[in-house]
Amino acid sequence: MADLQTLDLATSGLTVSYYRQGSGEPLLYLHHVMGVVGWEDALDKLSQSFDVIAPFAPGWGPNKDELFEVDKGPLDVTLHNIDLLDALGIQETHVAGIGIGAWMAAELAAIFPARVKKLVVINPIGLWLEDTQGEDPFAQHPMSPTKILFADPANREKYLVSGMEDIEGAVDEMLNLRAGAKFLWPIPDTGVDKRLGRISAPTLIATSEQDPIVPAGYGPAWQAKIAGSELTTIPGAGHLAELEQPDVVCALIRDFVTSGKVAQLTG
Amino acid sequence: MKFHWFNLMPWPHLPEDFAEKHRSVWVDVDSRLYDPVKGHKVYNDYLDLLEYAAELGFDGIGVNEHHQNAYGMMPSPQLMASTLARRTKDISILLLGQSIALYNPPTRVAEEMAMIDVISGGRLISGFPVGTSMDDNYAVGANPAELRERYRENHDLIRRAWSDPDVFAWNGKYNKLRYVNVWPRPIQNPPPIWIPGGGSIETWDFCAEMDYNYSYLSFSGYLRGAQLMEGFWARMEELGQEFNPYQGAFAQQICVAETDEEAQRLYEPHVRYFFERCLHVYPGFADAPGYRTEPTIRAGLASQVGGSSSSSQLATQLSWQELIDQGFIVAGSPDSVVSQMQRVAETLKVGHIVCLQHIGNMPVEKTMYNTKLFAEEVIPKLRPIWSEYEDRWSPDPIANDLMSDPRPIRSGAPVAGGD
Repeated sequence: MADLQTLDLATSGLTVSYYRQGSGEPLLYLHHVMGVVGWEDALDKLSQSFDVIAPFAPGWGPNKDELFEVDKGPLDVTLHNIDLLDALGIQETHVAGIGIGAWMAAELAAIFPARVKKLVVINPIGLWLEDTQGEDPFAQHPMSPTKILFADPANREKYLVSGMEDIEGAVDEMLNLRAGAKFLWPIPDTGVDKRLGRISAPTLIATSEQDPIVPAGYGPAWQAKIAGSELTTIPGAGHLAELEQPDVVCALIRDFVTSGKVAQLTG
Repeated sequence: MKFHWFNLMPWPHLPEDFAEKHRSVWVDVDSRLYDPVKGHKVYNDYLDLLEYAAELGFDGIGVNEHHQNAYGMMPSPQLMASTLARRTKDISILLLGQSIALYNPPTRVAEEMAMIDVISGGRLISGFPVGTSMDDNYAVGANPAELRERYRENHDLIRRAWSDPDVFAWNGKYNKLRYVNVWPRPIQNPPPIWIPGGGSIETWDFCAEMDYNYSYLSFSGYLRGAQLMEGFWARMEELGQEFNPYQGAFAQQICVAETDEEAQRLYEPHVRYFFERCLHVYPGFADAPGYRTEPTIRAGLASQVGGSSSSSQLATQLSWQELIDQGFIVAGSPDSVVSQMQRVAETLKVGHIVCLQHIGNMPVEKTMYNTKLFAEEVIPKLRPIWSEYEDRWSPDPIANDLMSDPRPIRSGAPVAGGD
């Protein structure tokens, strides 16, 4: 069980809250729209193979008040991640991201290719295909706005908000969605398609079979933009794949990063 | 006490089964339900009604802004206010208002408001709402996380554009303008500024800070509005603002007839049309993430529309008498309405009433009847309320001898051509 730590970045004046545990090569984990949901099972499993660093991006979780300190384009978030790596003394790292975190991971690998050894993007947000589109994660019922992020809707209560009385959970949920909306409103086309061709790290793309936000059609689109990349799907999971299928997601990242293999998934 | 006749301009031809067949009256409402030829008559009828109210001695006539909305067909309130400015002479033009965060550059708002103020001889009330999530975020696409910051910047820019006599550069976060120099300038500097709000507590503080009028535009009536207005007045006191009822406005649906029974018979179908069809909003459009601030979420101020727990949904299940008892509507004979309106004044402590007297699909004749009875039988009895207070939130027009007369429309004149 890793504890939440903080680190002040001299370059930007921002404070990063992050979890860090494990040994081996560093693995930077960039979270989805719901942030890092505590010391997650998937991260714990990954920490048996890697030195896992899981920061909250500016605007999420304990860093909610930093939302307005960064521009919504790719540059500020990418420099922020570089500042973090510099502050931790990490020159090269593997990077895995989910959802909006996959977009941030791809930007990092595209803008600073020398800093990223291997890249895993899961349910990546950032492209917009007219024929595929995807559900709007920001136009959901306000009483259950994140139900759509799960394959099993009951998992919202299991992982994020424990019932109607959980005001803190509901507030966190809304603030995390707000942070996502800042970067992705109203159409999640971040312009990353122009930069994906710069990625030189070996890359694995995975899409969940039950993610209406990033329908499976986006997988081939990402693969086509990143030379030599691999593509697979994750059964039994919605958008927040690592919460619903921690073993699968852990195996996927671990196998690809350590051996370049794509794990055979059975869900 | 002052009274402003206001028309939301609803589309009156929504089908009976609208709520069953369609998910929302707003944002993604089916455009096939709109008929522009019928729309021609609807707009002209509605503008006629506003002009009619002006003749009856209301203090103001009002319009507002909605987008992709079948109960509010005024994407541009300026267009409506400008025609009313031309066709009336001695009444406030209540433009309530323009969602100033949406306009880029917002100097366009400063320009258009100034135009209307000049055309009207200084009769404009300038409404600066943050706007609803349906309009701002979903229909117009404004980023909800940035909305309030953008609102504040646009507000500051508009105020300076009206008042700074010199050309200035504006290097904002959301607006970069090298040469700001609005022509024309408004007669009133500034026009009275009213802030229509739902339930954001930041808006209260803003009204106190700027000495603006806070207008609670609720469709849930005065009893449900009481808690919120009490919160507003308490916050004003906390912030050291001296109580003045004219700093508050409240929108109330009002139906007057000769008797209580006649009021129900005449108006109930239209009130039902409004609650059942016009307020049928998909909950997913009610509250974009970031639209409400953290303190407002924590304060638990529920949104007005969307969801089974909303008050608009509740209204569909109430009887006519329950709608009156719970304050959703003020209705009945002139005497009944006078006593209900006295309760409105006591309960809310507001000096300005925004009178919603055209409701849902109410036809023109009935609306005129409702309006006339209210103006002649009700308003005179309520006038003295709050007379001991000075209203600093109404327009200060130019002297009557300087005010232009609208040119009469010549009927029967040839439209075009001739020899």
